[in-house]
Amino acid sequence: MNGGLLSTLLRRGFLALVAAFIAAPLVVVIGVSFNETRRMSFPPTALSLKWYRAFFADAAWMKSLETSLSISVLAAFIAVAVALPIAYAVWRYNSKAAKALAGVGSGLFLLPGVVTALMFSAFWGVVGHVGRIENVVLSHAVILLGIPVAMLSVGFQSIERALIEAAQTMGAGDAEAFRMVVRPAMTPYILCALVYVFVLSLNEYLIAYMVAGFSVQTLPIRIFTSLRSGYEPTMCVGAVIFMALGFSAFSLLAAIGDLPKLMGRHRPLEA
Amino acid sequence: MTDLALPLKAEDAPPDHDRLVLAGLLSLPTLFLVTLCLIPLFLLLQLSFAHRGTGGLWSPGLELTQYAQLLTPQFLKVALFSFSLALTTAVISVALAFPVAYFISRMKRRAQIAWLVGLLSTLSLSEVLIVFSFQVLLSGSGGLVKALVALGVMASPHSLYPNFAAVMVCLVYLVLPYIILFLYPAMSQLDDDIPAAATTMGASPARAFLTVVAPMVKGPLLSAGLLVVIFTVGSYLTPLVLGRPQQWTVGIIISNAAMTTGNMPLAAAQAVALVSLMAGLLGLVRLLTKGGSPAS
Repeated sequence: MNGGLLSTLLRRGFLALVAAFIAAPLVVVIGVSFNETRRMSFPPTALSLKWYRAFFADAAWMKSLETSLSISVLAAFIAVAVALPIAYAVWRYNSKAAKALAGVGSGLFLLPGVVTALMFSAFWGVVGHVGRIENVVLSHAVILLGIPVAMLSVGFQSIERALIEAAQTMGAGDAEAFRMVVRPAMTPYILCALVYVFVLSLNEYLIAYMVAGFSVQTLPIRIFTSLRSGYEPTMCVGAVIFMALGFSAFSLLAAIGDLPKLMGRHRPLEA
Repeated sequence: MTDLALPLKAEDAPPDHDRLVLAGLLSLPTLFLVTLCLIPLFLLLQLSFAHRGTGGLWSPGLELTQYAQLLTPQFLKVALFSFSLALTTAVISVALAFPVAYFISRMKRRAQIAWLVGLLSTLSLSEVLIVFSFQVLLSGSGGLVKALVALGVMASPHSLYPNFAAVMVCLVYLVLPYIILFLYPAMSQLDDDIPAAATTMGASPARAFLTVVAPMVKGPLLSAGLLVVIFTVGSYLTPLVLGRPQQWTVGIIISNAAMTTGNMPLAAAQAVALVSLMAGLLGLVRLLTKGGSPAS
């Protein structure tokens, strides 16, 4: 079939182009980070690890990395801890109050970053608690709340009521049924939500900058500052570390959970 | 004992025990959202009507000074530009993401996982980094310019930014993984039998895709487009770094008013105006699609 072959070729070519487009910036950043010269050029002229040594020897860069990691880990745990009771109350009790809370959370996520950044900058100013790291943690946790609420709700809906019924027929109480059915079914969704919030908080620039940018230097803020004040190759190392973190987090998720299902596929897939 | 297997209906008056559990479950999330979402939102609204003092100070008031300042041709031009930029990004990115999501959902399991991990990993890149790598990619000494000169497409090496196209490409890049992942569930739910039937009846695969598959997912496509508009209308870093001042968006104007000029009330009024325009657009789309498609 001539038409079939042509359409396969077209499809492959199109997908390859999209993959190249998606990969291009990553390749550039990785390339520049190994570049021998100080100049910002791609493809690299000679390979060297010297910017990596410089990055890990620089106390300021390491401090930023540490700041960013602590903010994102805390924001992820807070957001998921707040989202879990909301999603559970919606699923288990069909509670109107919980639905309203879920709506507020998702609505906030849809506001433009600059609007929420301004809102929090005004809020922390009025509270009189300016330039602190916890401002960034709490602001990120609220802004990103919509993600765990949505993911955990999908997770709860995927639990088969029949399984719970079966557990109860076999004499399990509420608590036991919860432990046997609900908890194992929810674990991958909770992990997925944690990873998502972690990664998005790690990369968020504008809110962190407008809320506490003068005193708390997260990695994106430091990279942007060095970008504005003149190029230095060490920032690419910071970038590569970011990519490695995100890539390993999501690969881990793919290894322990059913990624297509977590991303919303309901039909089973053949291997 | 309550029955965990049966969801309670909202209209059923929950037993006292359940009400207590519910209160226990929701009290902390409520406190969290009221303090960190509703109060800040109210503050923002209040700030936009505030009286502006000297040196970045302001006092509560009910002034329309800030809103009057929005009615200048300069701000209106920026607002119009921001929305047209967001709409163009939406059309391009959805047109690209739609077939990609469809093809991914038809791949073998391993290939699907590889694509999903790749897409999720690009989400883990800060906008700062993506903007920076586009700067390197498009710079006069970058590989792309060298390749174009070698191929004779460009006469002499010069930087491919700042301009509108650079802003556009970078914004499409930023939203593309989100939109593919957003469309993926809808695509994987699609039945293969109908497009297959269409091809059997003589339609080419491309034609079957456009005339049979596309209408089936009209709702998700429209929502995806709206999401892109919402995400890009307030864009800040990309137009700041890859654009000229003509390509500055409301996001940059708001941030400048707040951080550079220190005029928080004006920034707040601009933010309120931006959100109202977005809400208006959403309402308009709702109204227009209401009669047309029962599916969405």
